[in-house]
Amino acid sequence: MTEIAAARRFDAIAWFDKGIGLAFPFVVALAVASAVLLAVGENPIDVFSLMAAESFGSTRRIAATLSAATPLLFTGVATAICFRSGVFNVGVEGAFVIGGLCGAFVGFSLPAGFGLALIPLAFAFAAIGSALWLSVPGYLLARYEVDEVVSTLMLNFVAFGITGYLVNGPLLSEISGNNVTPLVHEAAQLPRLLPPSTVHAGFLVGLVLVVAYGLWARRTPSGFEGALVGHNRRFSKAIGISIPATIVLVMVISGIVAGMGGASHALGQLHRFADGFSPGYGFTGMAVALLGRNTATGILLGAILFGALASAGTTVQLFSDIPLDIVNIIEGTVMIFAVVELGRLSLRRWRGAS
Amino acid sequence: MNAHAAASSASAPVSVCLGAERLCKRYGAVQANSDISIFIAPGEIHAVVGENGAGKSTLMRILQGIEQPDSGRIIVDDRDVRFSGPGHAFELGIGMVHQEFMLAPDLTLLENLVLGDEPLVRRIGPVSRIDWEAALASGRELAGRTAVEVDWSRRSGGTPVHIQQFVEIIRLLRRGARILILDEPTAVLAPQQVEDLFSLLRKLREDSTTILFVSHKLKEVMALADRVTVFRRGEVCYSSPVADTDIDTIAGHMIGEAGDRTHPASSRRKGAVGEIVLEARRLTTPALEKSHPLHGVDLQVNEGEIVGLAGVSGNGQSELVECLVGLRAVSDGAIFLAGDDITNLPNRDRRELGMGYVSANRRDEGLALAASVEANVVAGSQRKAPINRHGLLDLAAMRRQAGQRLDLLAVRYGALGDAASSLSGGNQQRLVFAREIASDPKLLVVSQPTRGVDLKGIAAIHAILRRFRDDGGSVLLVSEELDEILELADRIAVMANGRIVGQLQAEEADVAKVGRMMLTQGGTDD
Ligand SMILES: Nc1ncnc2c1ncn2[C@@H]1O[C@H](COP(=O)(O)OP(=O)(O)OP(=O)(O)O)[C@@H](O)[C@H]1O
Ligand SMILES: [Mg+2]
Repeated sequence: MTEIAAARRFDAIAWFDKGIGLAFPFVVALAVASAVLLAVGENPIDVFSLMAAESFGSTRRIAATLSAATPLLFTGVATAICFRSGVFNVGVEGAFVIGGLCGAFVGFSLPAGFGLALIPLAFAFAAIGSALWLSVPGYLLARYEVDEVVSTLMLNFVAFGITGYLVNGPLLSEISGNNVTPLVHEAAQLPRLLPPSTVHAGFLVGLVLVVAYGLWARRTPSGFEGALVGHNRRFSKAIGISIPATIVLVMVISGIVAGMGGASHALGQLHRFADGFSPGYGFTGMAVALLGRNTATGILLGAILFGALASAGTTVQLFSDIPLDIVNIIEGTVMIFAVVELGRLSLRRWRGAS
Repeated sequence: MNAHAAASSASAPVSVCLGAERLCKRYGAVQANSDISIFIAPGEIHAVVGENGAGKSTLMRILQGIEQPDSGRIIVDDRDVRFSGPGHAFELGIGMVHQEFMLAPDLTLLENLVLGDEPLVRRIGPVSRIDWEAALASGRELAGRTAVEVDWSRRSGGTPVHIQQFVEIIRLLRRGARILILDEPTAVLAPQQVEDLFSLLRKLREDSTTILFVSHKLKEVMALADRVTVFRRGEVCYSSPVADTDIDTIAGHMIGEAGDRTHPASSRRKGAVGEIVLEARRLTTPALEKSHPLHGVDLQVNEGEIVGLAGVSGNGQSELVECLVGLRAVSDGAIFLAGDDITNLPNRDRRELGMGYVSANRRDEGLALAASVEANVVAGSQRKAPINRHGLLDLAAMRRQAGQRLDLLAVRYGALGDAASSLSGGNQQRLVFAREIASDPKLLVVSQPTRGVDLKGIAAIHAILRRFRDDGGSVLLVSEELDEILELADRIAVMANGRIVGQLQAEEADVAKVGRMMLTQGGTDD
């Protein structure tokens, strides 16, 4: 009996530990932000409650939050797929941008007569484009052990350069000013879910992908293999898993997801491709994946949280003197502490020592 | 029993150098240590024995300050202490060599020796130069007291394990350790190396170093220790001066009354050998740093046969195994598995063709330590029925399979979801073996299959290997335990200098013969 009771207590502690571990980055972020706010003479409590109200206070605000979370669902999943396999792909940003351009290109260049078929076509083209894009560093890593952090990071700049050139040259819209492509056909635009808010059907696509990712990770042989490769490559090789195949596979899936994210953003949010298409969704997606410990639920929550921060940030600034930078500070701090598993570590130490 | 142990040491005039009283430690559902009391007198060599998962390593980690006990006292030099961490224990003179070594593989031995306590030329704030000459001198001086040659400029990752172990011990001594804790120091050593280690430890005892060591080999305990303490299921169940006890008594206490101590008679192959299953022809590998080259190895393993590969460690056995299982490229020669040329196939395809592999390196190659027990024991079967159903993993079947495999070798674990690193060393080894035998191979390449496993576990593993052979399976058994090879193998191949220097049928082999072949024709050439 006491055995069972003690085991249960331990379970409870383990859960508590896990909770603290996840909440820890936010606690630190709030503390840092509070310190900054106090230093500039603001009351942190007021600011935080304003931010909470601005991100979850009404249906409209919630919709805005979800809208901001949409691209992060895609980039979060795209990052997590690679990270859990020990492939440090930081090129989701570039793949997202490439996907956006591909999606928009299908959306405005094919005849409008395609109708609703434009949407799947655009998504497919974007997925293929980005998958090919990331398969290059994937192949280089698998075959020649070219460090993926360097190659994917560099490819981001290549992606910015290529898309920047295209929207200023061959694909430049003739009617609307600078650095944008023409609008996609109306049939290619993703429907809005809660007008007048901008949250669009891409959010649902993102949700489906998060669920699919969760299934893939837990329920498929390749997902299982990916996790083992992430834990220990030498072991995985000795157990008969092909490391190169796994690396290329996760890179390609990551590209597909990132590309679909770009298409969703182009067709649902901007209705075109524009220079500066992504304000760093790929990088925030990295924080989302780290924070969510590469789990589907974690990614969903992480994306919504970062969505909330972003949507609160834009409006908070309108209604108060608080600089938008406070949101960046919070985001940055969360990112740093998402990486450090300090929360759980220090708690364990402290409990052990007491 | 605890009271008895306490009384006997309390009556002694000498103080307790290192001890524990009523120590408890629980991990999840596992009570790793319950009410442990143990007292080690100064200058004593104290052996701790017990089954896999009995809680030996847990106690060692607590005594070194790595883990905090849930309750109970720790005693150093008759005083109660409460370790704040391993650094604290170290200040009190307690140093430990872990079951899995902990040298930094990319640093040289010399760098490892001084790591954390570097002699400096002079200190200019944070910028100061390390005095490598002083470091080397101190290393040489300490090594001089032992019988081993140490090439201090070698990277520790490429050094034979027994040298690594010496360096670890020397490193602790250099930093002033006077109480040494050694967790299964002999598990990875060949017999001759065990002798070297023991003579070092005896010398240290003369210099009044106190030594606490864990072992599964009772012969070693009898040969070296002054006192032995037996653990069973987290408790101390017996403690006695070695002079007043014998192997059978100790073994009896280890296994407990309920245990079955009958050793299965070592059986030999009954039927005739079948077809050739594995054949290596003139296998040659280039001389790379860190590895011993192979010079044209010819070897055959037939159906229904256990072939033992004997040899002084570091003569190319591990390289040969890696070539056979597809983890190392060969420069010349060929490998056939049941008639198929597999020389250039990756490990994955060789497994498809029916090869199983128990790696000698369970920490890096045998297990993914951070992954769950369940994932580790079903790994490799994720694409086969019943775990794979219509392209999806059947989680219930996976759990069932995992449970069955673990039960086959009585692996002691908390929950299937726990990390494999939470298993005790011997249980990790059992897990690896359970996984490979369950994959239903034609040929098993097993390297050091019983390293760190207790007596009962060894008997179980040997019985499984024999049954596998009797059912027509083939086994290539690589082991540094000559006894193990002599007991199991139907045919023995002896390796030296990257060559097979001779083969013997089991009937005509004995320790002396095989030992002679290993040494006269071999020895290391580097
Ligand atoms: N970090 C941990 N988390 C969970 N359980 C653990 C942990 N460390 C040890 N255990 C459990 O505690 C028990 C005792 O383990 P310990 O390593 O002390 O055994 P041992 O006597 O050293 O065995 P072996 O001879 O196999 O090395 C085991 O059942 C093990 O599963
Ligand atoms: Mg142990």
